[in-house]
Amino acid sequence: MEGIPTVLITVDPEQSWQARPSRAFYPRGFKLGHSLGQPGARDLHQRLVIDALDLLIHPEEPGTIAEQEYPEYSPLDKSS
Amino acid sequence: MPEISRYCIPYTPFTGKLESSRVGIVSTAGVHLRSQPPFVLEGDTTFRLIPADATTDLTTVTHDHYDHTDARRDVNCVFPVETLRELVAAGKLGSTTPEHLCMGYSQAMREIKEKVACEIALITRKWKSDAILLTAG
Repeated sequence: MEGIPTVLITVDPEQSWQARPSRAFYPRGFKLGHSLGQPGARDLHQRLVIDALDLLIHPEEPGTIAEQEYPEYSPLDKSS
Repeated sequence: MPEISRYCIPYTPFTGKLESSRVGIVSTAGVHLRSQPPFVLEGDTTFRLIPADATTDLTTVTHDHYDHTDARRDVNCVFPVETLRELVAAGKLGSTTPEHLCMGYSQAMREIKEKVACEIALITRKWKSDAILLTAG
């Protein structure tokens, strides 16, 4: 059986853990609707995608949900 | 296809470098082109193919189980289609798949597992992707 490597970005690690993703990444404290951060945060979106995809290069034990803090995340930022 | 234990974690190793990899998105965030039919809010197991050159202006979100106000202002909040292109332009990824895929809300897990997931697997294989980024809302 052949598969494709996947990485899940989740903002609900408890629920995601039940689905047993092979690789999962939780930006700690990010809210629903902000899987990659607030709108307009281009640098944050890019950094988060690369950090998540880094699990392909440096994998943790399957089933583990990696976590990372992003101080630049601003859930209430409504600027465009 | 043999039945996989519900306790099994399917795992495909990755070989290569991000800088030369083709990456696609599969999501359940309810994103679709404005020109495509919206998802059925009460439950929908269909999916939409989103071209890799899609922009926020061309997309919208039909999903009733999270606040997508910000995702409609910037689709990359939940579906990083523009972000992937930026990373390719910056040389941090090799390429994106020619299209990406998105579903809406559904609790029809049996249908998804037995039918829809197989359809999605066939599509992602055609993309010749090296890796798939999964997002929800």
